[in-house]
Amino acid sequence: MAGLSQRLWGVEFQSPVLLASGTCGYGAEYDGLIPLDDLGGIVTKAVSLEPRPGNLPHRVAETPGGMINAIGLQNVGLKRFRDEKLPWLDEHLTKAHVLVNVVGHTVEEFSTVVAGLDDATGFLGYEINVSCPNVKGGTLFGTDAKALSELVRRVRQTTARPVIVKLTPNVPDIAVYARVCEDAGADGLSTINTFPGMLIDVEARRPVIGNVSGGVSGPAILPMGIYLTWRAAQAVEIPVIGIGGIRTAFDALQYVLAGASLVQIGTALFVDPNAAVDVQRGMAAHLESQGVAHLSDLVGAVELPNHA
Amino acid sequence: MSTPCRLPARVLSNQRAGADTYWLEIDAPPIAQAAVPGQFVMIGFGLGRLDAPFLPRPFSVGWRGDDGRIGLLVRRFGTGTHRLAALRPGDEVLLLGPLGRGFRWEQDSPLICIAGGVGLAPFLFMAPEAIRHGATVEILYGERTGDRVFDPQLVEKLTGIQPRLYTEDGSRGQIGRVIDGIERGRRIQLFGCGPTPMLRALERLAREEDLPLQVSVEEHMGCGIGTCQGCVVRSVAGEWIKSCTEGPVFRREELSWRD
Repeated sequence: MAGLSQRLWGVEFQSPVLLASGTCGYGAEYDGLIPLDDLGGIVTKAVSLEPRPGNLPHRVAETPGGMINAIGLQNVGLKRFRDEKLPWLDEHLTKAHVLVNVVGHTVEEFSTVVAGLDDATGFLGYEINVSCPNVKGGTLFGTDAKALSELVRRVRQTTARPVIVKLTPNVPDIAVYARVCEDAGADGLSTINTFPGMLIDVEARRPVIGNVSGGVSGPAILPMGIYLTWRAAQAVEIPVIGIGGIRTAFDALQYVLAGASLVQIGTALFVDPNAAVDVQRGMAAHLESQGVAHLSDLVGAVELPNHA
Repeated sequence: MSTPCRLPARVLSNQRAGADTYWLEIDAPPIAQAAVPGQFVMIGFGLGRLDAPFLPRPFSVGWRGDDGRIGLLVRRFGTGTHRLAALRPGDEVLLLGPLGRGFRWEQDSPLICIAGGVGLAPFLFMAPEAIRHGATVEILYGERTGDRVFDPQLVEKLTGIQPRLYTEDGSRGQIGRVIDGIERGRRIQLFGCGPTPMLRALERLAREEDLPLQVSVEEHMGCGIGTCQGCVVRSVAGEWIKSCTEGPVFRREELSWRD
């Protein structure tokens, strides 16, 4: 699948397909079930400075063409991540790249987590999570351009590793936030995180999700993800990672044509653990059948009509 | 715990075994061979279609045959389970399993299995396995109404024992709750699977009688393998722990039973 490789941030991604944060744990959960090291990479569950307990159940439920979740960033915290989770990734992933998803309540917390991980081995860079809809203040940085700029600048100063910012779709114009990140020194963007949503149990007259609201993901959000990825990619020069509802190679290729250099697969993994492997195989087959030598020839190659 | 296996598998049979209640047998040799009682599978339909159930659903491995069949007890109550109830021989499903931590038991005292509704499922697997190893097993099985009772003859065929049946409306078996059938003052091992109020009552009884109890819990589940952290229950230490990988079977001392 040579045509799928992408060179970004000074390294080679053997495939453009990564597993999305929150859907692949810390990697080890998939050991023996799917060939993780054959993928482009994985993005870990969010890591905060201290362990977080997470939200009350129910935390997940099915929605039409997808799911809603409000996990609440339950995670083991910086120390245990570094001591117990990162070594597994370091040992087992030699070709696939690891991005560590980082979350915090304050600029200081983000910066402390990054500083606390930076000299460890086993990962390439960071995905800065400013877009979680399920915790108080989770989208604070993602919806305030000034705060976002300050955060990205600070993280940029803390590390020489790639800094990718995961944006929320819940803003009037994602292009504005994309440019803010680029101007503040981000190396890339992940678009998009989940959409805020709610389900109600009619008989019980109560919200289905313990947190009341949650984030909606899955095929239902595919067209919004493609559009917002296209908007963001139009606005910046830095690479964009397309996320949202991908379950087939053609879904992923739409993101690529919209301007994504890489893609992430999340909810589809729950339906079929082979989803990511199947998508990358399908992408390679498409390149071959279309006589496209390299995936990068398709990045942003959507042809708009003359009247657009 | 062995590595789970992703397995496209064929439905062998799906028979109605009570009102809205089905006994589904699937050809799944790698899962049948590896499973232990109390473990579960995720059953779904893959990524080809978007209608419910889009996400796979967890089901206790309800039984296994020597020929590699597994049995699942399906109750129809929503759109997702509706599609499972409508499966026909030859249909293909996508399985992931076996998953989770199962029941463990000693041979030296009777095993009393308390089943509420579809909570009967894991005991259809556990009873014959334990009996084969020389244990004494009783199944106390309760339903709200008699029409939903899973065919007792099928229970006997699968397990070799007759369940003691309780219905709240008294239309079949004895009237009352299954928990009322537990004989006190006897050295037994208790196992429970069913609605949360039943498990709470069972925990209270086990605590009062100082009896060992393991329960199989159920919570909304996303992945089945510990990645999404959706299916949590509260541990005795007050932490949210994953029912998919740390359970679904827990000793009563491991969980918080406060409301």
